[in-house]
Amino acid sequence: MDPLLVKADVVKHTSLPKSLRPTSPPPENVPKHKHIKDLKLRTKLNRQAIHAARSKALVEDADLLLTGDAGKMQVENEMERTWRIGQDEIVQGAGQEATKGRRELKLDGGPYRSIYSRNGRHLAIVGTMGHVATFDWQTGTMHAELQLQETCRDITFLQDQSFFAVAQKKYVFIYDRDGVELHRLKSHIEPTRLEFLPYHWLLASVGNTGFLKYQDTSTGNIVAEHRTKLGACHTLAQNKHNAVLHLGHSNGVVTLWTPNLPHPAVQLLAHLGPVVGMSVDPSSGGRYMATSGQDGVVKVWDCRNWKGAVREWTTRGGGAELEWSAKGALSVAVGGSVNVYTKPSIQTPHPAKAPPPLYLTHPIPHRPLTSVRFCPFQDILTIGHNAGLSSILVPGVGEPNFDSTEADPFENKKARREREVKGLLDKIQPDMITLNPDFIGSLAPQTKLTTAVNDTHDIPFARLPRLERLRVQGKADDTEAVDDDDDGGEGDGDKSGKTQSRAEKEKRKMRGKGKSVKRYLRKQRKNVIDPTAVAIRAKLEKHREEKRVARAVEKGQMEPHKPSALDRFRRP
Amino acid sequence: MVKISVLQHDPSVHLPARPGDPTPTTRNLDPLMHPFARARERNRALNAAKMDRLFAKPFVGALEGHIDAIEVLSKKPGSLSTVASGSWDGGVILHNVSERKHIRRIQGAHKGKVSGLCFAQDDRLLSCGVDSNIKLWDATPQDDPIEQRPLSVYPGKSPFNSIDHHRSDPLFATASNIVQIWDETKSAAISDLTFPTSTETITSVRFNMSETSVLGSIGSDRTFTLYDIRTGKAERRVIMQMRSNALAWSPTFPTTILLASEDHNLYTFDVRQLNTPTKIYKAHVAAVMSCDWSPTGLEFVSGGWDRTVRIWKEGQGTGPEVYHTKRMQRVSSSIFTADARFVLSGSDDGNVRIWKAKASEKLGIITARERAAIEYRESLKDRWKHDNEVGKIQRKRHLPKPVYQAAKLKRTMLDSRAVKEERRRKHTRAGESKPAAERKKVVIAEQT
Repeated sequence: MDPLLVKADVVKHTSLPKSLRPTSPPPENVPKHKHIKDLKLRTKLNRQAIHAARSKALVEDADLLLTGDAGKMQVENEMERTWRIGQDEIVQGAGQEATKGRRELKLDGGPYRSIYSRNGRHLAIVGTMGHVATFDWQTGTMHAELQLQETCRDITFLQDQSFFAVAQKKYVFIYDRDGVELHRLKSHIEPTRLEFLPYHWLLASVGNTGFLKYQDTSTGNIVAEHRTKLGACHTLAQNKHNAVLHLGHSNGVVTLWTPNLPHPAVQLLAHLGPVVGMSVDPSSGGRYMATSGQDGVVKVWDCRNWKGAVREWTTRGGGAELEWSAKGALSVAVGGSVNVYTKPSIQTPHPAKAPPPLYLTHPIPHRPLTSVRFCPFQDILTIGHNAGLSSILVPGVGEPNFDSTEADPFENKKARREREVKGLLDKIQPDMITLNPDFIGSLAPQTKLTTAVNDTHDIPFARLPRLERLRVQGKADDTEAVDDDDDGGEGDGDKSGKTQSRAEKEKRKMRGKGKSVKRYLRKQRKNVIDPTAVAIRAKLEKHREEKRVARAVEKGQMEPHKPSALDRFRRP
Repeated sequence: MVKISVLQHDPSVHLPARPGDPTPTTRNLDPLMHPFARARERNRALNAAKMDRLFAKPFVGALEGHIDAIEVLSKKPGSLSTVASGSWDGGVILHNVSERKHIRRIQGAHKGKVSGLCFAQDDRLLSCGVDSNIKLWDATPQDDPIEQRPLSVYPGKSPFNSIDHHRSDPLFATASNIVQIWDETKSAAISDLTFPTSTETITSVRFNMSETSVLGSIGSDRTFTLYDIRTGKAERRVIMQMRSNALAWSPTFPTTILLASEDHNLYTFDVRQLNTPTKIYKAHVAAVMSCDWSPTGLEFVSGGWDRTVRIWKEGQGTGPEVYHTKRMQRVSSSIFTADARFVLSGSDDGNVRIWKAKASEKLGIITARERAAIEYRESLKDRWKHDNEVGKIQRKRHLPKPVYQAAKLKRTMLDSRAVKEERRRKHTRAGESKPAAERKKVVIAEQT
């Protein structure tokens, strides 16, 4: 047979059918990997890069297919203000279905706290006197109602509406959907606040004892117990994007905890006086945190960089309850009203301590206001207070498009079961919680440790580890791994556009006396209290003073210090 | 006036229209909606790798019938299930692999060992033995499986070691102390092929399947020889460090040939470039006794004196899939089936074993959803194979203790040899030149 014919035949039978071939033209600006000599590897990398670029473009296209319309409130001229619009007007303007969101629950035994399930369909409420109820607020079906007859401080749903945990007087208790007590978690003593980390299946509690405890709800094991050493804690918030827990303490310190570190990952002095409310912004990937203190100040922090608050303002009436919505609106419940602020203004640095422009306000006469919760995938804000709960409509704060694989308000029984099993299979191990969740799957930095002494190896080549062998052969790839995901974040590093090699960077790095110490201190910001940093700072100050004195003596501006017998009484 | 609109979901969009309909699902690909996407994907990859090892049950069954060690296996061209096996007791059995039944059983086909088997056209089987005879058998299924009469007998002068049939013509080649070409219709060899200076014993001979007049042979004097029956003489000869035990031509790359060597390695050669092998395949810890390509040409199987069967990917010289059992002895023959899904191995314990080519493959009907899940798991494993934990689970194979110890010992020996060589180079003038690559050391001489 003619070899050409054979070849055509093979191509016909091994290539993708036309219907499965991508129709779009191959994307441009795909890296060509010209520096790689191995042809097979280069082809593979090129193919991967094209595939990645193509799927990225497809994901961008998929945004156009989202159907949900976010709510909004728009004024026509500059003289009008959205905050002047009351709930009656909003309810009138909203459609019939949406008006169901405006409710007043008048209950005894308050003040009340509440939490929504992750799909926003179910609501759990708890009153301080021990009234607990969970219900589907859309259909109005009650799942469970309990009168626990003792102090209850917090409530949270576990993976979905079928279980909930209540922080009661002495312990945490877990109930099932029908209100049957399943577990008494005796290791969580006098809990005040609860959080559930859904992707790790961890129930975390802090209490009057000052311990932060993580319990795995799939196995029942206590994963970690951290002694905060900062006394009773009444504020707990989770960062939904990295599962780090934020604790606010009574001395104004905010600490960030992960299960795998015995000490806080970050500690900062946020307020003068106790921290009362705290929340992390889910709309920016957990980048911003808002705290409020008993001193009446609300602060917005940038979690990448703890150099002072981005924005701060004072509220009337002491400690404020805070909550960010999925679209990045911040609600502040303080005194006798709830204020909602929207996104660009609360996150832009502002030197004056003035409150950001108000989006919406709603007065509630039943003080104290003890909890604010946005309903996921709805424009609803639920405020817990002394006389029960009030839900108000806040147009434009909810995410309109949900994802059925994550949380679906309309899921049926089978889908819920399926998602529970899938969630268990995908459970992330607790020790993988870190401040940066993207470290998984990224390249580990190349170790600089080497067995070479003055660039010569004592060990025979055949027994060297692989990386060392490559280095000896000059084949080690010293170019920086550039991930196209983080080029936005690190773009300010070098503007020249050329990626410097590691060696070059090392060479050009500024050298100076005590560089490492300075770098260490720069990292340990002033508002972070760390005894070692304080000690080093004091030592540096002392050195500087001695130098100054020596210089002055040299110039003759000062008398040199003469040793005297009284020196022995001087403080060191 | 202000424009107010409040978010609301239309239940008719999100609920099934009629009872029994699937619930509509919606997707939102915003990464903020999918926290820990990478960590969860890694978890899934880890689970996929674990499931792969969990369901790795490669042994399908054994074909019994021989009362002595299996020497040779041969599959019938164009058939998925028919396989012939020849044994040291002189018996030949035709198996139906899918039904695990005997099609024919020929006891005492030869006196002494049956050393070679191959199928001829029209459902006939050729066998050769150490009794210096070649016999042609009818291989059609019959009511009485024990039928003992050969269609014809071709007497030879010396014991035969191997036999192979021409792809299309009624010719076959045998290996004894010389390579002979026979015509099915003639009772004596029509030509003898030998390299002029050869005094070897030829251990195996194979026709190329594309260039059908080319055949290769290996011999006991560490040679690999190429012949052409059109010219009627040996064209090339390569002398290597150690002798080869088996050879196989690639079914998809006509120039590629695979040699199973006594030095525990397998080599692929491009016959246009015989001075170096294209790849060395290292994992066996004893002599490799047999090898055979998958019909896709992307994989091949080898069986060794170390009592293991290994399945290699073409071009990947390490980390093959390894199969072993407590009772399987030295593997003297191994073949891929024609659908590339199974591997057969014949060993000294007298059994022909059927193995899956992919250890964790599910046999039987697979639904579309299951197929999609399997493909997703495959791509996850491939994507995360560089992750320490995932990769470790994928690579790790349990080995019998003797094999493990032998591999360890071999590793130590090779390492120390390398170190010694390096030190020697460092302190002699040999160190001035670059050390020779491992591939350059295999071939000693190439002769024409």
